[in-house]
Amino acid sequence: MTSPDPEPGTPAAVVVRLAEVGRRHGDGAGAVHALKGVSLDVAAGELVAVMGPSGSGKSTLLNLAGGLDRPTSGDVEVEGVALAGLPAADLAALRRRNVGYVFQDLNLIPSLTAAENVMLPRELDGVRTARAREEARAALEEVGADDLADRFPEEMSGGQRQRVAIARALVGERRLLLADEPTGAVDTLVGDEILGILRGRAEAGAAVLVVTHEPRYAAWADRVVFLKDGRLVDSAAAGLVSAR
Amino acid sequence: MTIRHGLLALLTQGPRYGYQLRAEFEASTGATWPLNIGQVYTTLSRMERDGLVAPGEQDEQGRVVYDITEKGRAELDLWFATPVRQADRPRDELVIKLAMAMTAPGVDVARVVQAQRSATMRTLQELTRAKRGAGVAQRLVLDSMIFQAEAEQRWLAHCEAVLAASPKEGA
Ligand SMILES: Nc1ncnc2c1ncn2[C@@H]1O[C@H](COP(=O)(O)OP(=O)(O)OP(=O)(O)O)[C@@H](O)[C@H]1O
Ligand SMILES: [Mg+2]
Repeated sequence: MTSPDPEPGTPAAVVVRLAEVGRRHGDGAGAVHALKGVSLDVAAGELVAVMGPSGSGKSTLLNLAGGLDRPTSGDVEVEGVALAGLPAADLAALRRRNVGYVFQDLNLIPSLTAAENVMLPRELDGVRTARAREEARAALEEVGADDLADRFPEEMSGGQRQRVAIARALVGERRLLLADEPTGAVDTLVGDEILGILRGRAEAGAAVLVVTHEPRYAAWADRVVFLKDGRLVDSAAAGLVSAR
Repeated sequence: MTIRHGLLALLTQGPRYGYQLRAEFEASTGATWPLNIGQVYTTLSRMERDGLVAPGEQDEQGRVVYDITEKGRAELDLWFATPVRQADRPRDELVIKLAMAMTAPGVDVARVVQAQRSATMRTLQELTRAKRGAGVAQRLVLDSMIFQAEAEQRWLAHCEAVLAASPKEGA
């Protein structure tokens, strides 16, 4: 097991590591292999995009990386801690402390305002209400949604809900950010802005993993990996000279 | 260079007369690239000079079949293995390459598509990086290139999905 390396001058610490990770649903002839032997490291300061056709295993990969789902083979480590051995309560604590999520279907709680939705993970962390409220305000401002603080999800447009869901993932300076199609309901200008925000977080030291089927957003990443039928088939790293 | 590689690809299916190559080239590319017979013969004689094709015997009407050589096969493999660059791209080369990869036996089309996706993605990453800190005018120019590269990526993703649903005939 590796632990994060704090020494300066050494390569950036790996925040999340997937080693030969597989995820199978069901058994026997009807089994679905959502992911097959995928290995991937994301280091602090790195933005990695995952692309691939519908059903190729992108959301599965993200859920496994964040400990929301458990692999049926292989290992996942977050900040040097192997998730496989963790009791459920410790896993939940590690997720809360380290991981910020933007879900494909956003998952905002309808009975809470935007500000309350963003505060919630911090309150679960045990942060006092006044401070959580202040952090939520800052996160909403960062995504350009400060004017939405008191609105309920049903009173917002799709793109506005999207911003609030992103603010919720940003709050509390998580070291690992996982975003599943965070640009689903927005136009290209706002989409670029969202990727710019995630990019900024990576540059501030977070490890960021973004699922997108839009090449223009994937292009913000340091590395783009392609999934196909549950396998990683290729990757494109920025800064390499293209062929020929 | 594309006509030459297109003809080589057609020759992997067996020896062909010049007029056959012309008809098959147009059929493979959906007639988006009409060739005249003179271009075909000029290209064949240059390829003969370069050792990529070898002529057979003349028939009674003075026609000659051409066959691909080992060197020609190597040249073709290299072409299929090399992604077309986004910059200074001769128009339609990528389209021709994929059409030919579908037609020629033994070419892993999915691989050609994936190599191109990765290469174009790197271009897209470079453009996006250049956009950070650019002024508005420069940014709009970069955006134009980004949208073009994006269109190609979408098309390639679409090709991948179509190929997965209906693999190439005879493969
Ligand atoms: N709980 C489950 N039971 C059975 N099969 C599942 C389950 N969850 C996911 N799958 C299957 O696993 C595969 C990968 O699903 P996943 O949600 O990771 O795809 P995706 O790449 O995120 O697709 P999309 O782009 O449509 O969101 C799919 O074939 C899906 O049907
Ligand atoms: Mg998904």
